[in-house]
Amino acid sequence: MTTTILVVESVVLVLLTILVAGLLRSHAEILRRLHELGAGLDADDTDDTDDTGAPGVSGSTRTRSVDLRSDPAGSFVPAADIRGSGLRDDALNVSIVGAPHRTLLAFLSSGCLTCQEFWTALGGDPRALELRDDVRVVVVAKDAQEESVAALRRLAPKDMPVVLSSEAWSHYRVPGSPYFVLIDGPAGRVRGEGTGATWQQVATLLQQAADDAGDTRREVRIDRELIAHGIEPGDPSLYRTAAQIAQESRSPSPP
Amino acid sequence: MIKLAAHGVAVGLPAGWEGRIQRRQATAAEQTTHAVVHLANFALPEQRDDFGGGVTTRMRAADVFVVLFEYGPESVGKPLFAARGIPRVTADMFGSKRLQRPLPGQLGCQRFFTAGGRPFCLYVVAGSRAYLPRLVAGVNLVLSDLDVTP
Repeated sequence: MTTTILVVESVVLVLLTILVAGLLRSHAEILRRLHELGAGLDADDTDDTDDTGAPGVSGSTRTRSVDLRSDPAGSFVPAADIRGSGLRDDALNVSIVGAPHRTLLAFLSSGCLTCQEFWTALGGDPRALELRDDVRVVVVAKDAQEESVAALRRLAPKDMPVVLSSEAWSHYRVPGSPYFVLIDGPAGRVRGEGTGATWQQVATLLQQAADDAGDTRREVRIDRELIAHGIEPGDPSLYRTAAQIAQESRSPSPP
Repeated sequence: MIKLAAHGVAVGLPAGWEGRIQRRQATAAEQTTHAVVHLANFALPEQRDDFGGGVTTRMRAADVFVVLFEYGPESVGKPLFAARGIPRVTADMFGSKRLQRPLPGQLGCQRFFTAGGRPFCLYVVAGSRAYLPRLVAGVNLVLSDLDVTP
């Protein structure tokens, strides 16, 4: 009797061991797949993860680094105008390259849950968007074959262009929705791209992008003024300390 | 040139131009609507009347707005639409009294014609006389690449 019980217990133990090993292996596989998708568990892991704290976009591919301010890897595609169809049996072309303003392309879909926040924000009070006057928002959804046009009609902001253009999604290599691309019209270049969980996050990044652009302009202006006064890069006067300047101002000037 | 086509109208747009080719939704069962084309060398607002209401008030001196408005088939053969083919515009066709909605500095031009057996009105608003030669050249470039199919 004791022997039988021991045998049964041993069999159960072996089975449980196999079950636990299988579960651990399955868990490891899930973690590996999640890591491949960019959803690492380590909060400090910045390798291709979202630095806005936003959830991953609802696409099957991995998102690019989220930063509406810069293009450190030189990965941005050349800017291009958007051509597609509208929501009322119309065709439209939105000029972006060469336009005297910046364009924020909002790649949204009718079905993604995170997009609802943006549809609501874009369709609400324009002042609440806190956008600068030189930013025009253009919503880009996929072609009618891949979208619900009826749902888009309900969601579409009435004062913003909504273009159905899978071609644009492909051109701008949009990994999924929501996704935002900021384009400098006069320069004809993409200045930043990424995603966010709320409009506030996107607006903050836009503000930072504008500030960065302002810094660059200021730097160029200062350089020009210095060169105009004969002060070129490397000029010793650029490296004087505050103490040296104070000392010179106290010294009596030559007669 | 970017090609835009819908409702039997196709147009090539130079860099910096925007375009919409649409047909208003019928508000009654027996009502039929026809093509309305809006072209501009600036960002078109979404709320636009057929002949530029909501648009021209936003125009600057160097801006131009082009409307191609199709009338119903009952207008075919009427004297007003006797001109055949896509017209071209010249600076002397523009005047401040040819605007649907007169605004300071702006000039308008209106031509009626039939193309592809369809009656149209071409209506152009120029932002200012100072830029008129350049704007006329731009409009004619667009008109040279405009096709209407029956």
